[in-house]
Amino acid sequence: MEQEAEKSSVGGVGSSEIVSKVRKLLFRRMLVGIQDGRFFLGTFHCIDKQGNLILQDAVEYRCTRRSSPSPMEQRGLGLILIPSSCRTSCHVDCSIDEQLSLLNIKQ
Amino acid sequence: MDQSGAEEVGMHCHPPVHSPIPSGENSVWADVSSLLEAACQELQDGDLIHGDNFNLFAAMSALEIMDPKMDSGIVCKYYSVDEAVENGVAPVPISSDKTIDVQCTIDIMDHLLACEATWHNGHSLAQTVFSCIYLLRPDRTSSHAILHSYCRVIRATCKAVVSVVSDARTHEEEDLFTMTYGLPLHGDGDEKCLSMLNAVEEMIYRQLRAYIEPLQLNLDLEEGFCNALLCRIRFRKHFFHVLTCMRRPQGRGLELARKHIASCMSELECILKSAEFLRFGAFGTCDDGVEDRTTASGRAPIGFDASLNSRSSAPTPPRAIKFLSWEKAIKYFLKLLHDLDIVCSYSLDPMLEGVLRFVVQFQKSKPDLVARAHLQLLLVQDGKLYGRDPIFAVITKAAALPEVTKNHDIQKNEYIVQLGQLVMNMLKILCTNAAWQRRKLGKILQDWRVIYVQLELAFRNECGSVSSISDDENICVKIFKHILNWVEEQTYWIASRYLMLGFELDLYSPSEYCMVYWYMYVVLIKLAEKTHLRMAVSSGTAKKKGKKKKDSSKELAKESRIPLPVLFLQCHLCLAEGLSMMLAALRNELMVLQSPSPFNTERERFNQHFELLQKACVPDNISYLSFKESTAYTRFSTLVMYNYFKNAQRIAKEIKSSFSDDPDRLAEVRRLEQVAEHNGVALNVICRVGALDPSLKVSFEFTHHPYFATAVVKRS
Repeated sequence: MEQEAEKSSVGGVGSSEIVSKVRKLLFRRMLVGIQDGRFFLGTFHCIDKQGNLILQDAVEYRCTRRSSPSPMEQRGLGLILIPSSCRTSCHVDCSIDEQLSLLNIKQ
Repeated sequence: MDQSGAEEVGMHCHPPVHSPIPSGENSVWADVSSLLEAACQELQDGDLIHGDNFNLFAAMSALEIMDPKMDSGIVCKYYSVDEAVENGVAPVPISSDKTIDVQCTIDIMDHLLACEATWHNGHSLAQTVFSCIYLLRPDRTSSHAILHSYCRVIRATCKAVVSVVSDARTHEEEDLFTMTYGLPLHGDGDEKCLSMLNAVEEMIYRQLRAYIEPLQLNLDLEEGFCNALLCRIRFRKHFFHVLTCMRRPQGRGLELARKHIASCMSELECILKSAEFLRFGAFGTCDDGVEDRTTASGRAPIGFDASLNSRSSAPTPPRAIKFLSWEKAIKYFLKLLHDLDIVCSYSLDPMLEGVLRFVVQFQKSKPDLVARAHLQLLLVQDGKLYGRDPIFAVITKAAALPEVTKNHDIQKNEYIVQLGQLVMNMLKILCTNAAWQRRKLGKILQDWRVIYVQLELAFRNECGSVSSISDDENICVKIFKHILNWVEEQTYWIASRYLMLGFELDLYSPSEYCMVYWYMYVVLIKLAEKTHLRMAVSSGTAKKKGKKKKDSSKELAKESRIPLPVLFLQCHLCLAEGLSMMLAALRNELMVLQSPSPFNTERERFNQHFELLQKACVPDNISYLSFKESTAYTRFSTLVMYNYFKNAQRIAKEIKSSFSDDPDRLAEVRRLEQVAEHNGVALNVICRVGALDPSLKVSFEFTHHPYFATAVVKRS
């Protein structure tokens, strides 16, 4: 079913398979880590050529100490833009089957 | 953190995610970094991947992470207060060397004072006072008696000040002030701060007197340090007393508050004097940045980090804060105490007229938010004036209604109840800052106008059948008439205050002075008329009583003439009329101050300035056309005949002696007299040579009076 959806969403900006794969990730929960150790969890809203991300309804998570593991503090931020320059990791919430298929594409 | 089992499964085929943030049920965090990277490479410049709900305009408002001007959460040095504490940023004791420990304690006290003043001046509490790590962890300081008690009283003081300002709700534009999210403003046992402070004071005092167990080891410095600590501790004690005394109901604590204010001021003087010892006496060093230093010694204080809780100042973006210097902070507190002293020395005048005059006078010194909030809470408590006089009784007095009214059923009339609320609302508005006040006054004009119409209708309904007037109804008619007249008077008073505040806020340009003074003049005429009517009625009732009092015979003689408050208003209105006519003549004959604006016409500017007055029909039948009609043909030749400025000067001279026991109003009359005199002379000069001499330059300055301009004539 997902494979079908993939094919039908090809079109618009960039019609490559990879771009449509990313398009499918829109509105999914995305977890982005940045240089200073914070994480942002929000809905994937937009990405541009430079890799700058926009997340909706984002929540900031931060450790309370440099030495992990430590308890987390969190606060809501809303709509945020994460420049690609400070992004260190990026994950999407998905089922295990889907994860395998995502890995497939990459290789 | 509880991670779902599913994630563990995911880890087999994927590098583990070092994140304690759980993914959804039966799902894992899949790394998409390389997928995104690959997709980006295939995108063209300017391309975006986004959904249907994407809106570029809305996306522009996204908070940019790691931008120092937007992202208040950037991790600077430490991840948390606890981490900073573990790294020894705020040690207790501050130093194992007792001399240094005392010195650093004093630095902390001084910097906290600068922080507090900076907070009062419009920055967030989190980034100012609570940048002090010692304040953020109330229990840590318990082994350090001096620091501990000082931190307690600071927290308690901040709490008291926040409560005054948020209770008064005068802080709409200064709402950063009361934001206290996540700050330990209510430390356990902070309410005992005064007894702790007293104990510490007592201890230091004994050490100073007897040198038993000295505070630190360098005995030459002992006295200086003890004195420096004592005045700082005593200041905090008295200041906290001031705040609590002023909150007592019905102004019962005002007298005591004044004593504490006096003590505060003298302790501040001592604190200032201690600077010399702390800078030179202690170490003989001199710091260069004297102007900006936030401590008396000039050293940077230990235990402060504003970046740690800059996230607590959300939802505002992070702001760069320029702290007030230590000396400026002391000056600020002296001014605040002075303003509070004015509030405390107020006599709780039961007459509304007196209250209004006091508030307006008080506002002239530009008191800050804290002082204004205190005044407002004093004036309006529990829906009563000073929490003491029922509002209907206040209106009865203000409108010069007969004594019987106080118990009359009329006070149950819903419009009378509403009128009472309008009066309260007006008092609150008068305590706000000038800009906010003007906007609100403009808006409530309509409410006052509506209540007038409603009262008039109610009056017709209740006392309609005039033919069959019984005695009781007669009183009803009388009450309504007086109230209606008073409502109008009050409306015009608000309008005149509205217009005058425009000068204070620099809202008028010289080319608009003509219309502003003209409008002021038409409002003041109405105000004088209504005031005169009220005074005539009240002197009528007073006369009946006055027969019993013989000493009032002199006043009776005066009453046959125009009453003093009316003359006072007439002096203002002569000046307003004179200025508007002079400005009109200048425009018509010398073609000056016309300055056609490229943006809008004179009519548009008229509407912009007086829109709220026009909407409320204050006064009736006044429009741009009536302004044009009365100023279009003004000439200097006719102006001289009317002698507006001479009249103003004459009235000022006449009433000056009557204000000998009222220094504020006497000063006001003197100012009016000066403006009248100067403008009279200027007018004469322009009349004689103006038309012949094209090099004559006329400008207007506010050298003698804040609202009434003085004409300055020069040859260029």
